[in-house]
Amino acid sequence: MSSLTITLVTRELYLNRWLIATAIFAGLLSVYLASTSQMGYRIGVLAWLTIIVTIGVILPMYGIHQERKDHSLLFALSLPLSGADYARAKMLGLLLCFFLPWFILSLAAVVLVLAMPGIPDGMLPFVVLLSGFLIANFSLVLCGALLMTSEALIISVVIVTNMCVSLFLFIVFSIPGINDYVQSAVPVWNEVVWTVLIVEVAVLSFALLLPLLVIPRRRTFI
Amino acid sequence: MKTSAFEMRNVRKAFRFFALDDVSLELEPGQIMGFVGPNGAGKSTTLRILMGLVHADGGEVRLLGHPIPRDQRVAKRDIGFVSSDMRLFQQATLSWHMRFVASIYSEWDAAYATLLVRRFNLQPEQTVKNLSTGEHAKAALLLALARRPRLLILDEPTAGLDPVARHEVLAELMEVLRDERRAILFSSHNTVDVERISDRITFIDRGRVVDSSNKEEFLERWRRLQLQLGAGIRLPQSPEIVDLSVDGQFTTLTTDRFTPELATQIQQAGATILEVQRMSLEEIFVANVMRHRKERAQ
Amino acid sequence: MYLQIMEQIRQRIAVGDWAQGQELPSIRTLAVSLRVSVITVKRAYLELESEGVIVTRHGKGSFVAERVALATDLQQQKLDEHLTAAAKLAKLLGLSDEELATRLRRAKRNLGKS
Repeated sequence: MSSLTITLVTRELYLNRWLIATAIFAGLLSVYLASTSQMGYRIGVLAWLTIIVTIGVILPMYGIHQERKDHSLLFALSLPLSGADYARAKMLGLLLCFFLPWFILSLAAVVLVLAMPGIPDGMLPFVVLLSGFLIANFSLVLCGALLMTSEALIISVVIVTNMCVSLFLFIVFSIPGINDYVQSAVPVWNEVVWTVLIVEVAVLSFALLLPLLVIPRRRTFI
Repeated sequence: MKTSAFEMRNVRKAFRFFALDDVSLELEPGQIMGFVGPNGAGKSTTLRILMGLVHADGGEVRLLGHPIPRDQRVAKRDIGFVSSDMRLFQQATLSWHMRFVASIYSEWDAAYATLLVRRFNLQPEQTVKNLSTGEHAKAALLLALARRPRLLILDEPTAGLDPVARHEVLAELMEVLRDERRAILFSSHNTVDVERISDRITFIDRGRVVDSSNKEEFLERWRRLQLQLGAGIRLPQSPEIVDLSVDGQFTTLTTDRFTPELATQIQQAGATILEVQRMSLEEIFVANVMRHRKERAQ
Repeated sequence: MYLQIMEQIRQRIAVGDWAQGQELPSIRTLAVSLRVSVITVKRAYLELESEGVIVTRHGKGSFVAERVALATDLQQQKLDEHLTAAAKLAKLLGLSDEELATRLRRAKRNLGKS
């Protein structure tokens, strides 16, 4: 990895530092809230979800799309790199920006489930699947922002993926293979859980690989 | 054989509504080339192809000897690119940009950068989004100049600048040329500036290079002759005559191949030469483009 | 443009800024300081050399020619220009030839004093 890539990735983290810090802080607060009461649990979970989804949208929109509109992309491309180099650095940078808060908040959620006696440990697989879904979701939006220039198209991707969050919550939660065990005191890792996990990993890989394959073949970067 | 600062040979690139066709351009170190053309002629596209931001459909592009876009990473280390539609990162300050650029390029001259901040009258701690057009243009130029690159590619460097800022910018650009290993390519609508500081001039119109040569040679070749033709006298068609416009008794003849012999020929054809005028670069440019368009229409 | 530069150089030689045999600034240096293209200065130097005003020695640079005549030619020309202007003004003021001559003598005397 060239030093230029490292500089660019560091820059991405630096630019989004307040967003990341706020997300982590607010997310941890939500998890704490969820541990307090029934009501707190509902609000806390909703807040936790909203926070992660929000940064998942802001990062690609602001980091990629806005840069294109701002014409600061031209400045970036005048640096000693190719268009493909810059796209890769962007992708890595934004991925790290999302990964940091996502990982910490997911870990906090896992801890919440395991530590709180009021929350059955059977919820654990679902929490893990939800986390996995959220990062797969983010990578799809990131992929869309990297490959598309039309604002309308990108916003459509954002809307669709966000609708999927609700769909995920309803559908996956209702799948018998998962629903049956949510209330249990022991986490159950059955085939259904593994299948969903594999699908999530596949989607994630696809979303991250597609730009890496398509962008170097591009003939115009501006 | 010195490596040219840049070379484009027979470059073509097709877009939906526009195409660059057979563009060939070359510049030697120690020279400034002014790149002039109407809006939409393809100036920005040409410069972007040069920088590897757009890949040509055909032809050869070399920057400081490096084939583009293949070796653009290496080439760009020694090249400064500033475009009038380029923006720096809005949320950061000029100081941040200076540190950013310094961390990427080893040739960054901090002392020169400080000097330029003073000369250009800039406040380094101001956020980019609060800079005026002129300040932003100067800031972007500063970031390129302080690296002392061997080649500067500038897309309309003085666009939107007030006369004072323009003067400051042109002065710094000329300073670059003190070093005869360095070169500058700049596109501009400001024919006065181009006429003054360019060594070579290239005219482009509708995706084609109309003419490219040494400035003094242009200024020497082109003339406007004010003629008085006797009744019934018509001048024969001739390749040296670019344009002939009649206004009552008086005829204005524009030529791009002026010689004393031509003047004699015209007189022998029955015309009285009232005046031989040199043409400004702007007049040459317009006449050249008009002729080019007429030829293409045929 | 190159004509203007040639004129500027001739002036400086005539006035004595650049002495005979003195080296002129390099083409590039002059171009940068005048903010004019190198090629224009190069042309001016070439034309001046063909006129005999300057001499270029290969690999060494350009020098003011060793010709006294040039300086005086230019100065004579300047004198004529000034005298013509003075004559015009004198006519407007309605001065006679004698009055004009007196004024000229007085001016010369004042020069000697300073």
